[in-house]
Amino acid sequence: MITLMIIPLGLAVYIGFNRVSYSTFNKPVFVGFLNYMEVLLDPSFWEAVFWNLLIILVVVPAHIVIAFIAALILDQVTGRIRGIYLAAMLLPMIVVPVIGTVVFRQLFDPSGLIAWFFRVVLGERFLFNETSMKILILIHSTWISTPFALVIFFAGLQMLRRDLIDSASIDGANRIQQVWYVIIPQLRSLFLLNAIFAVMDLLRLFDNVFVLTRMNPIFHSDTMQTYLYRIAMTVKRLGKANAGAVLTVVIVLVVLIPLLIYLYREQVEER
Amino acid sequence: MQKIKNPIGRLIIHITLWVFILYNSVPFFWTFLQSLKTKKQANSRTPLFWFEPTLEHYSELWLERVPENFVLLVCFIIAILLALFLFSIIGKHLSVSAVVIRFIILGSIIIILFSIPFFVETAEFYDYFVNTMIVGAGTVIISISMASLSGYALSRYLGIAGVVLIILALAFRSLPRMAFGLPYFWMGQISGLFDSNFLVIVALAAVNQPFAIYMLRSFFKDIPREIEEAAMVDGASRFEAFIRVIVPIMWPGIIATSLFTLVLVYHEFLLVRILTLKNWTVAVAMQQYLGGISDSGSLPLKSAAAVSAALPLLVIILFYQKHLIKGITTGSVKG
Repeated sequence: MITLMIIPLGLAVYIGFNRVSYSTFNKPVFVGFLNYMEVLLDPSFWEAVFWNLLIILVVVPAHIVIAFIAALILDQVTGRIRGIYLAAMLLPMIVVPVIGTVVFRQLFDPSGLIAWFFRVVLGERFLFNETSMKILILIHSTWISTPFALVIFFAGLQMLRRDLIDSASIDGANRIQQVWYVIIPQLRSLFLLNAIFAVMDLLRLFDNVFVLTRMNPIFHSDTMQTYLYRIAMTVKRLGKANAGAVLTVVIVLVVLIPLLIYLYREQVEER
Repeated sequence: MQKIKNPIGRLIIHITLWVFILYNSVPFFWTFLQSLKTKKQANSRTPLFWFEPTLEHYSELWLERVPENFVLLVCFIIAILLALFLFSIIGKHLSVSAVVIRFIILGSIIIILFSIPFFVETAEFYDYFVNTMIVGAGTVIISISMASLSGYALSRYLGIAGVVLIILALAFRSLPRMAFGLPYFWMGQISGLFDSNFLVIVALAAVNQPFAIYMLRSFFKDIPREIEEAAMVDGASRFEAFIRVIVPIMWPGIIATSLFTLVLVYHEFLLVRILTLKNWTVAVAMQQYLGGISDSGSLPLKSAAAVSAALPLLVIILFYQKHLIKGITTGSVKG
């Protein structure tokens, strides 16, 4: 693991110090911190970073709430049909994200279902512009990350301590109170776990933005990854892209450190 | 919570569940419908729900041209698959060991996969499909064999360093793909391995490793230490005890982790996109059916590609759904 992961990272730091493009692979020119400075001074880099953080701020709470409610309701159903329901709900997780996005976008194409709905109900055409594209990205990210959280919550609900709930209901707590005061505190660690996984996945959001916007710059919805992709593949500045990649690694670590410290404490306790 | 008993409440529950299922599956259903329409029907402004289905886009996607004896060939392949299925059922009652039977079935499926292009002129999409299979198998084999060794070690070693390593592994999961993709791209260009399946397999195994280790470790932790100690008292070395005793018990866990690896490989877009020129996997191949910035490509063809790319994984996963869910829950709920 260390050879496969650390060496490429080190290489990325090294390439970041050089001016490399596709024609000059074998003779990189050392330019010092120039690439790093260039990325740091690039407004579209910061635009991408903030947009990415905004996605996390919106999607993480939204998908956790939806998944938790769905898991609670699914818990009420018993028997064979429960498995069928669960399988149907897992679809967005199983199907390849790129395809999930293609499929999602088709609903909004001029011939799609939702575009039709727009025309009939609101009487206006659905247009792809910056606002609608950003909203679409938010909705799609929520849609695609819900099933995983759902499965975890659902499994957690099966392992609840029955006696606490029973005593709460004997004491006259209604259902909502039971959920709020008994179930949610018991599942606290699962909420955190879901949040951690979602943050990790959203930090490297690429596929759905790539497909939804088709890398069209007019939408201004680059995430960190699409920004780097644009520099590496479209502008063909490998050195700058590597410097940017290193910087995103730093940003990711900054975001993750509180979560990781929490995880660390929990693991040490468990041991 | 205790279940709601009154019928109206139950009705509401089922209705909400159906709404949620609709929210999850409408896009797929719509695409499936689109893929069966003709081009004109698919572009119609009012959605059509009732039409005569056509398979022309699927044949356009998979075949260069439709051969004359097409029906015969399809029947032949279905017959072979049925025979294999029967063989797997009968095989349980034969005195041959289960491993041999599995190898025979797997081998013949591989032979079929590779021999189809000799009989039928398949289109590019078939090559992408075979590529995906190769990359998937390679990554699963490499990453599982490495991860099960290190996961086992981490589950038995209780020092602080073990915890730190696990946390690091989790952190690596979230690191940007570009930070790995670009150095691998550079290495590929230098070593001339660019655009080969091998480079993709190595890169994917590297990316997948942390999560596989984390998951396998939680499975290993459930196995009591006494089992391997008993084997070691009987004169087995630690490695022998691992191979002969632990791995057979772990089989469900290993299957679950392999499934996750397969899903990851199948889903990976960015890395494969960077590291290949033409040797795409299915997920990357999708992009050539998407059309450009302004036009949206041929709708039914795009839908057909989406459906045929998604189906194989869907079938595999639904078949092993229990293992997958068990994998998610052991990895997380128990810690």
